[in-house]
Amino acid sequence: MLKRDHQLVLPTQARAPGFRVELRGTTFRLVATGAWTVAEATQLDTALKRLRVPIPPTADFTGEMDIAGIAEIDTAGALLLQRTAAAWEKSGLRTRYAGATEAFRILIEEVQRKGRAERPKIENRGALQFFTEDMAKTLTGVWHDAVQLTGFLGEVTAAFIRLFRQPWRFRTTSFIHHLDHAGFRAVPIIALICFLIGAVVMQQGVVQLKPFGAEPFAVNMVAILALREVGILLTAIMVAGRSGSAFTAEIGSMKMREEIDAMRTLGIDPMDTLVLPRILALVVALPLLTFIGDLMGLAGGGLMAFAVLGLDTSNYIDKLRDVIDFQHFMAGMIKAPFAAVIIGLVGCLEGLKVEGSAESLGTHVTSAVVKAIFLVIILDAVFAMFLSGIGV
Amino acid sequence: MIVENGREVLIRVRGLAKSFGSHQIWDGLNLDVYRGEILAIVGGSGQGKSVLMRVITGLVVPDAGDVGLFGQNTKTLSAQDRLEIERRWGILFQDGALFSSLTVLQNIQVPMREHLELPQAMMDDLAFLKLSMVGLPPDAAYKFPSELSGGMRKRAGLARALALDPEIVFLDEPTAGLDPIGATDFDHLIRKLQQTLGLTVYMVTHDLDTIFTVCDRVAVLADKKIVRTGSPTELQRHPNHPWIKEYFCGERARAASPGERPSIPA
Repeated sequence: MLKRDHQLVLPTQARAPGFRVELRGTTFRLVATGAWTVAEATQLDTALKRLRVPIPPTADFTGEMDIAGIAEIDTAGALLLQRTAAAWEKSGLRTRYAGATEAFRILIEEVQRKGRAERPKIENRGALQFFTEDMAKTLTGVWHDAVQLTGFLGEVTAAFIRLFRQPWRFRTTSFIHHLDHAGFRAVPIIALICFLIGAVVMQQGVVQLKPFGAEPFAVNMVAILALREVGILLTAIMVAGRSGSAFTAEIGSMKMREEIDAMRTLGIDPMDTLVLPRILALVVALPLLTFIGDLMGLAGGGLMAFAVLGLDTSNYIDKLRDVIDFQHFMAGMIKAPFAAVIIGLVGCLEGLKVEGSAESLGTHVTSAVVKAIFLVIILDAVFAMFLSGIGV
Repeated sequence: MIVENGREVLIRVRGLAKSFGSHQIWDGLNLDVYRGEILAIVGGSGQGKSVLMRVITGLVVPDAGDVGLFGQNTKTLSAQDRLEIERRWGILFQDGALFSSLTVLQNIQVPMREHLELPQAMMDDLAFLKLSMVGLPPDAAYKFPSELSGGMRKRAGLARALALDPEIVFLDEPTAGLDPIGATDFDHLIRKLQQTLGLTVYMVTHDLDTIFTVCDRVAVLADKKIVRTGSPTELQRHPNHPWIKEYFCGERARAASPGERPSIPA
């Protein structure tokens, strides 16, 4: 903001911006007063828009912007003056400024110069076009993801097979570290969740089966459900949220800071050091966690069975023994390593896809969790069809 | 309004003290910033140059001392007055600090939307004008910050800082991370904008070229206070302090000082 006199503090009254248009001889004059700053711009804008552009009766009429009365001006004020002057010029009045101080003149000239820049046109797309384009982009994106994930699976498999020929490439420390983080430290939360869900399913089962007098069968339901579906699904979803996202965040932040490029130039293969230990650790940890999840699901069911059915522990275990087959247990357990591979692959791949910015890291972490959980559920559905197909 | 030596004091800092844990960074720091000048704050790392800017702008609360802005003590300001003062300054953070979910144009319009009720056409006019004033091409307007280079992000950040035509602009290391050509351009830009808009510029910098080409006055942070202020050439001629001597009379300073090469006409 430029002031005519810096020592002068304007009273509110004098700040009120204003202008009037008068005709003196052959000169149309816009006499501006007060403060022409951004705070007053709205008021000035409406008033100036209402102002009719004078039409010169003959060619020798001129225009003048008399700004001697302006006490304060900034770019907004200069812009408004400039806009008015341009409109006058357009109607055939040669317009000049009067009463500007040196500083005012510099500002107005700068605004005049810079205001001429051509603005880019933004193309307005219709809703239908927008929708179609978006849809097409998403669908090709899904296909692209599938191709990438398959390619990555191939790379990881190749690196894994290479381990047999060159076992010294295996990073034991890193493997143990991830086993600890993704496996051991996940035990309490997974145990708690499975216990609670087992209990809830048992309680609901009893409530729903009671009208048919079939409440003892709630135990069958909980036992089979816990072993075949609930144990593995809850564990896999929890691990996807807990460890899959952590993999993406760790690898992604390394990618962001060019650490992975540095590794490559030092002759270290990120596949060996970052990806394989994580995926292998998950492949070991997830079946173990699933086993704990199964047990805790059954335990939760047992607690509820005691509370609502009055079954004590030994009766409950006897009943379980009648109901459960080894097949049921294996039908759940067989899915664990596959789910582990999916979660690990998606987590590591999303991490490697991170680009320079923190926003990119955020989006990839989110998409790692979403994709991993989605794929785990697809996997579960495929297994369900397959297992019922072969009669297990 | 405080007037000293015939010049209006816009920022007056008195007796500032601040510690982080057991580490005291200032003890009794005083500083005046006059209207219309370009002031550079220099000092070794860890002397709290950026923290001082954050204290003045109210982002960090000092342990002791007063900060006066436009003649008002910030301690006794009401929320309304504080808002009024915030409209009168613009801040350029190190990497621009543009809002990543908004386009450059929307970024520049944020302060206008927040503080004023301007018609959209007027805001567009003003934003394009600011964009052009900081030397960005008009097609940068619809880009997102992530699509811009570091230098362009700084310029866009400066455009946002200038959105409401502030009286003071704070610049945090304006030329850091720019190549020499980009940095020189930015120096010229600061000088030019200061002259056209009548700005007071407070900048934290390390860049000796910037100091010698655009700064009117330098304040040196050392020994937990501002040890000296003066024009760059003055400090170079009479350092009177070991750190200033090292900084202004070192190899790099000799290369940057105006005696060694043609200075930029103001």
